[in-house]
Amino acid sequence: MKKLIIIILFLAPILIQSQTKLNSTHANLNLTCSNCHSCTIPTKENPCLKPCPRESLIRIDQKPEEGPRVIVIDKLRDTDIYAPVKFSHLAHAEMADMTGGCRTCHHYNPPGNVIGCSDCHETTRKRADITKPDLKGAYHQQCMNCHRSWSGKTDCNDCHVVKEKADLKPVKVKDEKSKRIHPEVKAPEKISFNTKTDKGKFVTFYHNDHTGLFGLECSQCHSNESCAKCHSQIKKPAEIKKSFAEQHKKCSSCHEVKTGCNKCHSNKESGPFNHKISTGFDLAKFHSKLNCARCHTTPSKFTGLIKDCVTCHGTWSWDNFDHKKTGLVLNETHGELDCESCHKDKSYANPTCTDCHDDLTYPKNLPGKLIKR
Amino acid sequence: MINESRRKFLKTSALIGAGITGLSTKSVKAEPKYVLDENRMGVLIDTTVCIGCRKCEWACKTAHDLPTQPIESYDDRTVFEKMRRPDAKALTVVNEYPPKETDQFPINVKVQCMHCDKPACVSACIVGAFSKEENGSVIWDTDKCIGCRYCMVACPFQIPAFEFEKAWHPDIRKCDFCFDRTKEGKLPACVEICPMEVLTYGTRKSLIERAHQKISLYPDRYIKHIYGEFEVGGTSWLYLASKDFHELQFPKLGTNTAPGVSEAIQHGIFAYFVPPVALYALLGGVMWINKKKAESNKNKEVHHE
Ligand code: SF4
Ligand code: SF4
Ligand code: SF4
Repeated sequence: MKKLIIIILFLAPILIQSQTKLNSTHANLNLTCSNCHSCTIPTKENPCLKPCPRESLIRIDQKPEEGPRVIVIDKLRDTDIYAPVKFSHLAHAEMADMTGGCRTCHHYNPPGNVIGCSDCHETTRKRADITKPDLKGAYHQQCMNCHRSWSGKTDCNDCHVVKEKADLKPVKVKDEKSKRIHPEVKAPEKISFNTKTDKGKFVTFYHNDHTGLFGLECSQCHSNESCAKCHSQIKKPAEIKKSFAEQHKKCSSCHEVKTGCNKCHSNKESGPFNHKISTGFDLAKFHSKLNCARCHTTPSKFTGLIKDCVTCHGTWSWDNFDHKKTGLVLNETHGELDCESCHKDKSYANPTCTDCHDDLTYPKNLPGKLIKR
Repeated sequence: MINESRRKFLKTSALIGAGITGLSTKSVKAEPKYVLDENRMGVLIDTTVCIGCRKCEWACKTAHDLPTQPIESYDDRTVFEKMRRPDAKALTVVNEYPPKETDQFPINVKVQCMHCDKPACVSACIVGAFSKEENGSVIWDTDKCIGCRYCMVACPFQIPAFEFEKAWHPDIRKCDFCFDRTKEGKLPACVEICPMEVLTYGTRKSLIERAHQKISLYPDRYIKHIYGEFEVGGTSWLYLASKDFHELQFPKLGTNTAPGVSEAIQHGIFAYFVPPVALYALLGGVMWINKKKAESNKNKEVHHE
């Protein structure tokens, strides 16, 4: 009975989801129709959806505990020789949380609630639409990807029990919402790599800089990792000689690895990212509170930004810039001056005061009204 | 009994006849059935998904009344220690290519008849026992077969096998695309059982479309090559893979069909398979036939297409 309730609870939101709700969620999406549909006027009968995967378009992010704890996979019970599989959704969601999150399995989700495999994948193998595998194929393709590397085995009875031998008692779900099944994996603050090169032996990798400061998502580096990354039961060959490209693969999507060796490699452990040292642009003065993305507007691209103020601030005018922020209030003393009178070069950082002020008034006695920044 | 000896007599006399006339084809050769239907079916094998569970091998044997061990015994992965070829007792086999360097998994490849669109076996069969059917399958008529084994030599994939141990009336065996099952509206046995849906059954056209779609959706997963799309003039069974097909022991074949078959035979043999010495002797004869056939085939294609 409980089993049934769980299934109903899981499916109910999907079943109830009405067309109107779908429409209102559609409207909130920051997408154009052509992102998902291949025809100009999609209808309910012919939604003309583009082929999966569409995970890059629509995604869901939920915490593992928000999903069901156990799912009994029994959609194929009539035709299968095996009993339904009791699938610990929570344990798998927790494990997926370290890599791609919900998307690891729910690779496509239309706007609204999280949907299950059988909402898209048909139960019959003989079918017209071959653009996605049938339900049995879909399940196994998801499961085996990790289970193969976890155990190195593909035996059916690792997960399945034939009907006659199965314990068909309903699953007991204790109400232990707060209790995790897989221990949480703590991200390291930094990792020091002792590389084999003579010059610049050490690479100090600040994990927290990458996830926090640079805003990388776990899946950007860890997407293809399965359990075996930590729990390998397959013996690895002694020491695989990786090519240069293989060794630098994870870094090279952002870093120029062919030429900029000493950006990462050094002869001793190096400190965390410092904008002033690495780029020459000191954030401490005025930009310390800004999120990286305020200036580096292309995601994961941090290079190539010209240091001149106008790059981000555009042309300054009375309306769009509050000069007070620099510490100097533009009151009647300076208010009528053209910007260029003091800011002779485009850097704006070092105003020229000596055109008006002599040694006595500047810098000894600072002109104008200064406020505390 | 009377029937059997009569048939054997016919077979023998046909063979002798062929020998006497110096394999002058026209007199002996029956016109084979050759249909290239627009909606012929095929199977797309995605080797990146296959886990090597060999359930397809079991299903194939069961569907063809071939002796087999119980299904559980197929979990034994030690069979992968050596490369296997389909034979008269196993119409399909799965091989394994161990992971290299950074590969996460081994690659498993199911091997069976490719059901060529321009089948060399059909062209080579001097009595017209082989045929290409509307549904894409390449099958043969046991009653017509005289046991000459030309098909074995002609096939660029070394598929047709001969029941050598059957002395009385040995027969050619190979994957028949589950002709009897599909006739009843069932799926081929291997397609039906595969837990991973490595094998997708559909019209050849839709499979090629789907294969291209997969390649463009997952450019990191697949190499840009559908094996069988153009090889030897196209095959009904098609493959996708993550690495060069040559590394998976697929013969490197051109797009040439029947007129180039003799070339394909040599390729096939030297690339990965040493057939019994006797077959070499036949090669000369087959090449000669094919040369003749090149002309007659041209005429045939005009009729059928
Ligand atoms: S049944 Fe499917 S997964 Fe198993 S070996 Fe055959 S093709 Fe591969
Ligand atoms: S693979 Fe060989 S046996 Fe099969 S159709 Fe082609 S030529 Fe004939
Ligand atoms: S199609 Fe039928 S005969 Fe061919 S390999 Fe599959 S099961 Fe065997």
